[in-house]
Amino acid sequence: MSLRTLFEAVATQPTSIAIRESIYGYPFLLTSHVVGMCLFAGLIAMMDLRLAGLGNLGTPCSEMQKRLFPWQIVGLIVSFATGLTLVYSDPMRFYGNFYFWLKNLMMLLALVNAVVFHLTTYTSVALWDSDPVPPSGARLAGVLSLALWAGIVITGRMIAYSGLVPNWWIGLKLT
Amino acid sequence: MSLLPFFQWMESLPISHAIQSAAWYSPIIQVIHLVALATFAGAVVVVDLRLMGLGLNRRPLAQVARDAHPWLVGGLVVLLITGIPQVLSLAMKQYYSPFFWWKMEGLAVATIFTFTLRRKVTLTDERRLGPLWGKVVGLVSMTLWTGVTVGARLIGLLS
Repeated sequence: MSLRTLFEAVATQPTSIAIRESIYGYPFLLTSHVVGMCLFAGLIAMMDLRLAGLGNLGTPCSEMQKRLFPWQIVGLIVSFATGLTLVYSDPMRFYGNFYFWLKNLMMLLALVNAVVFHLTTYTSVALWDSDPVPPSGARLAGVLSLALWAGIVITGRMIAYSGLVPNWWIGLKLT
Repeated sequence: MSLLPFFQWMESLPISHAIQSAAWYSPIIQVIHLVALATFAGAVVVVDLRLMGLGLNRRPLAQVARDAHPWLVGGLVVLLITGIPQVLSLAMKQYYSPFFWWKMEGLAVATIFTFTLRRKVTLTDERRLGPLWGKVVGLVSMTLWTGVTVGARLIGLLS
């Protein structure tokens, strides 16, 4: 089964149609998505600024990680659940959307960045926990994460501008 | 006094037409607005969580607040700079949207609250603050700013 058939099949689900055709479904989901984003991306940014040595320098890195983690997860659950429901409710709007796929790619890269950082530089956190300028591996992970999450927020907003895309993408004739 | 003539004047400005007629201006302004919102929200929430005893509790409150302050002010400044052209370019839509007024009134209250009472509480000696005040101020702050964000998003969705 191709991705296109999957998206088309989801679009015919009664619950998908019901959300798509309800008046308040989309406004409710999108507004909750933004509030979840504020909590998640906002606290991720505070932690990344600390790792990059750019902000929140009075707090040790491990404390930023551990104490903000539960709230980042709350924000992530809200954003993820509402985002998934938005796609479920109107899959064909997203299937041929350049920014939707770019956003997904950047989320994947952000995840890889976080996992790699935790398996490498972060294992020695005890040695540099309170340093105002963490080691280069931590600063790189922080800056990469800031850039990727900014990109994810930007491409998320740009999904609404499905016409403002490169010509080669339009040439693929996905929609 | 009605603000209607003022909003009509804003919509008649050349810059208002320029933003509306160029395909890339609005999206560029909107994405900067959104990145600034996330930064601002992070700086607000990290202090509110500390106020409520749910975040960076091992650090002194005043230090958490001082660390977050540049990002809070910087985020708010960028939000205002990118917010003004959005009002200018669609002034009449904003004027007739109840959510626009909800957002702006909320913004005024939240801003005053943040830079007076909340600022004073975050910089006070915690032993004198007692257990209740921090929780109240943190909760009020989160509620006000969430309300502003919700109102703002609904201008474009339910107007």
